[in-house]
Amino acid sequence: MSSTTTPPQSQLSNALAKDRLGVAAVVFFVMSAAAPLTVVAGVVPTGIAVTGLTSISIAFIAVAIVLAIFAVGYVAMSRHIANAGAFYAYISQGIGRPFGVGGAWLALLAYNCFQCASYGGLGAIGSLYFKDWFDLDIKWWVLALICWALTAILGVRDVAVNGRVLATLLVAEILLVLVFSFANVFSPNFHASSAPIDAGSLVGAGAGALLAMAITGFVGFEQSVVFAEESRDPRRTVSRATYIAIALIAVLYGFASWSMISAAGGNVVERAGTEGPDLFFNVASDQLGSAAVHLGHALFLTSLIAAMISFHNIISRYTFSLGREGVLPRMFGRTVPGTGAPKNGSLAQSVLGLIVIVIYAVAGWDPLVQLFFWGGTAGGIGVLLLITVSSIAVIGYFARHPEGEDFWHRIGAPVLGTILLLVMSYLTLTNIATLFGVESGSGPTWVVPLAFGIVTLGGILWALVLRSSRPDVYAGIGLGARSSTAGSGGGGFAAALAGDREAK
Amino acid sequence: MASSPQLPLADDLFLTAHDTVKGKSLLTPATLGLGLAAALIGELVFWRRLDLIDGKLALIDDRPTGDPATTAVLDQLLREGHHRGVREWISFLATGIATDLVERRLSRAGLLVRQEKRGLLGTKVSFTPADSMVAGWPATRIRTFIGRGELLDVSDLVLAGLILATGLDQHVFLTLDARGREQLFDQFRRRLPAMLQDLVAHAEAAVGDAVMARRA
Repeated sequence: MSSTTTPPQSQLSNALAKDRLGVAAVVFFVMSAAAPLTVVAGVVPTGIAVTGLTSISIAFIAVAIVLAIFAVGYVAMSRHIANAGAFYAYISQGIGRPFGVGGAWLALLAYNCFQCASYGGLGAIGSLYFKDWFDLDIKWWVLALICWALTAILGVRDVAVNGRVLATLLVAEILLVLVFSFANVFSPNFHASSAPIDAGSLVGAGAGALLAMAITGFVGFEQSVVFAEESRDPRRTVSRATYIAIALIAVLYGFASWSMISAAGGNVVERAGTEGPDLFFNVASDQLGSAAVHLGHALFLTSLIAAMISFHNIISRYTFSLGREGVLPRMFGRTVPGTGAPKNGSLAQSVLGLIVIVIYAVAGWDPLVQLFFWGGTAGGIGVLLLITVSSIAVIGYFARHPEGEDFWHRIGAPVLGTILLLVMSYLTLTNIATLFGVESGSGPTWVVPLAFGIVTLGGILWALVLRSSRPDVYAGIGLGARSSTAGSGGGGFAAALAGDREAK
Repeated sequence: MASSPQLPLADDLFLTAHDTVKGKSLLTPATLGLGLAAALIGELVFWRRLDLIDGKLALIDDRPTGDPATTAVLDQLLREGHHRGVREWISFLATGIATDLVERRLSRAGLLVRQEKRGLLGTKVSFTPADSMVAGWPATRIRTFIGRGELLDVSDLVLAGLILATGLDQHVFLTLDARGREQLFDQFRRRLPAMLQDLVAHAEAAVGDAVMARRA
């Protein structure tokens, strides 16, 4: 849309500008998916226990730098394409439609990994707290199911309420992480540890596991470009919001992990094993008292619930946009008329979540390590692979459309970013046994990459099926709902125009 | 009601979007606004005041229509000569302008009543259909025509298109069988001028974008 020439006193421009998002709003959306307390108190101690690695702060910084370099081209490309589906639109337009659909399916699986991980985390950690607070023995899956139901209901209800609640929780979480981290620094046991910031660990054994853990903390930052067309200044708002979010996450998580490890003492790996997600709260407890710890626990639970709701919304909207474009069945492009919530996308996610919770409960698998940590880091690997492919797509796109961006944005940063991301992906995939804390060659080390591979391949094949059976849908892949082709709306009316018999 | 007149397009859409029993809106305010915005633009196309070409509104006649609601939109279009993108106009009118214009037009006709609800945080004003029969009429008319295998006029075809675009079909077209549906879709393809097909498609895309951006 070329509406950049704004005449003075245009009522239309003013009215539309009022609705547009500023930098702070975009940062909020991005960070609420990143769930600070879940990462700092949940992923980091569990990761230390499972992998035995402690150089996590430097990993956060390293990942932040790589992502910032990647973001240069990623954000630049958002100025040129309509990209409601982020990765999917990028890969479709940069490399080709079949890979775009493969990427879309991979993204759905990766996001669902996070979603299911949060059910496990909440159940496992929540049941410990309920024992502590009320002396109640509640099975983890009972709690998980309660929160699952809450998420499922909110998912098809009023969306605006969710946003405000998430924002409040996010601010509380960030404050709490800061207070606890500073309390750690002033604790008598505190000895500034060099292990968390040992740059040598990034080239040593287990580097890939560290990087994969770190990247889970950043997931959600890629959502910033979804708001490109809604932002106040398309050239600046999204890029600023993206860099700010990456920097905030790196500093907050890096500092919090460093202070926790430094205050925990030399046997931090053992303590992480026995105390688990309580480690973050325990090390600061002598400074802050038990009331603060209880408050921390309560916020930890709400933080997990916030992450759950927020990811659920991301997944259901992603499914919605794929349904609208015909890449998934059209019925996923439906909303609840009275709330605007993406109905079938939300329901599908809820069904999947329920299945996973039930399987883990029946099989008796460990919800903390095998669902929360494995699920979270598996999702992290998926997102890392997607980012890597998207980075290649950015190079591909600007090779064909070099207009309007300088060398650094078109080629310099994307090529550098791609090389770094390829190295990271390689390290992560080869370190998967360390990451999961299992023998190399055992189940999870091949199930996860295989699942990603199969799903991606499925997407590619589906795109090829569309190419021969539904060329009109195929032509529109990755162009977003704003494509100028007839029937661009992508919903029931577009399907009606296209003579779509499968549409309901 | 013996003489159930066909109302202007946007009025028909407004009534269709309201529950016949309780008079509550079946759509979110944002989605309703987008639908009504497109409907008002559609009315100006019927009045031969506007054309929609390549996603841009082209003014072909600037004389007032004699109807306050569409004339207000036309005046605004004349004042804002630099902006012609149909998506911009749908978004702009959807900020409350379209809903306001249509509510006033329906109130003047005596088809809506103003309701004040006192709550904790002040009074909430809403407009609800004066008569539940009237609210249900446009949808019933469309269903009846399709049921009899008759052709809809262009205004009702756009109305049916906007019902799909806003998701209202989940309430309104529930009872349509596969054959009726296919008949309606066939009329969209054959009898709806390309300009109006585009208008409805743009409205539908705007509704989808609002969902993605969490504004719906």
